[in-house]
Amino acid sequence: MIGCMVRWPRLWPLLLCLWGGIMMAPTPGPAQIFKTVAAPQQLYDTPSFSGTVVGTVPEGAEVTVITASGDWYQVEYQGRQGWLPFRAFPEKKKFSLPNLLQGRAVRETRTDEVALAGKGFTPEVEADFRRQHPNLKYDQVDKIEKFAVSPADLQAFRQEGGLR
Amino acid sequence: MKRTTVVLWILLAAAAAAGCSTVASTVASLPGMPASVKPALDIAQKTGEKALDAARPISATEEYYLGRGVAARILAQYPLSRNEPLTVYVNKVGQTVARHASGPQPYRGYHFAVLESAAPNSFACPGGIILITEGMIRACANEDQVAAVLAHEVAHVAHRDGVNSINQARWTEVATTAGTEIAKQYGGTLGQLVAQFEGAVDDVFKTVIVNGYSRAAEEHADLAGVAMLQQAGYNPAAMAGILEALRTRGGSGGMLGTHPDISDRLANLRGVTQPANTQAEPVRTKRFQSVVAVGRSRP
Repeated sequence: MIGCMVRWPRLWPLLLCLWGGIMMAPTPGPAQIFKTVAAPQQLYDTPSFSGTVVGTVPEGAEVTVITASGDWYQVEYQGRQGWLPFRAFPEKKKFSLPNLLQGRAVRETRTDEVALAGKGFTPEVEADFRRQHPNLKYDQVDKIEKFAVSPADLQAFRQEGGLR
Repeated sequence: MKRTTVVLWILLAAAAAAGCSTVASTVASLPGMPASVKPALDIAQKTGEKALDAARPISATEEYYLGRGVAARILAQYPLSRNEPLTVYVNKVGQTVARHASGPQPYRGYHFAVLESAAPNSFACPGGIILITEGMIRACANEDQVAAVLAHEVAHVAHRDGVNSINQARWTEVATTAGTEIAKQYGGTLGQLVAQFEGAVDDVFKTVIVNGYSRAAEEHADLAGVAMLQQAGYNPAAMAGILEALRTRGGSGGMLGTHPDISDRLANLRGVTQPANTQAEPVRTKRFQSVVAVGRSRP
């Protein structure tokens, strides 16, 4: 017991080095710019879906990240501040002690990175699945996704029907 | 000395798991450190990453690919309608209510399509593909009821009811698949993921087509649908209207679900319907009737 206490002081530099290294690992920096990957996202006044919608951020828009809180990012877009859910920027979550202690790092993500993140369900998985099941109607799914009504027609439709 | 060593090992593991490769490498290269430290750091890091991956929710892009698989399977049973005006009309109604859905839009947005079937049915695929049969449209009395059916299905997507029907153990496997021995038996990681993908598609397909959602999910979709109707300017009473029409007609599946009983769902809606601006309702009903009439006159 005494011998153990005597040796502890010699380890303090090493322990401090370890702790310092852990705490200095990459963490969310102020005012980072990154793009939304998912389709148009609603901007909330609080980090909650029950908050008030204060605007919309289109897909591919660049926003300035102010801070992160749980699964939400506070951002500024076209002079307006609000909160976006993390799903607007799907990314691979890396296990990180600093992130656990200080919140997850905010990074710019790209579609290809997102698609391959975590080796989950990716375009490669779908392609293999399609090869194995040629009877499934993926061609019709593609047709559905390509179908679109023009914004002008949609606006006229809403206006005629007294809709919002 | 033993206690000191334990503390040091804990810190090493924490540093490795935290992804602090610089610190971990530095520590591993310190004079006097045993050679076995480096493999231990690697194991600690991989274990930490896997533990977090297993707990991660399904991402928006994964939900998107899953939904495409479910839709492809449904479309193998029900062909797409060839009624172009009806498809355009359903998309206009659907996009009108979907813009008032709670939560973020799906990865590639909402898409609506009509199925060639006389049976009244409607389906919500994860990721935003909503399918409605010609029979369901004909079961509706007006545009507001069509909007109610679509809003109900949009609510299922927004609430991720389809994704939540995936077997949890299967999803944990998906999230942790990475070059394991099990993966090699399936022909590598991709092979294992495809098998898990097929299982997940099957889970959701069975829920959407056969078993139906839970009572809570159905009641939530009804209420969220009413809110969407109200915000879009449709008559919120249309939700109860179409449920009543379907109850009278009988049958099951799609929006009818298998449970709870429609009477319980109507009771759930009682008292929540808000006043509606019905001024333009005749205009909407007229255009609904003209589109449906075109469909009826087709061979």
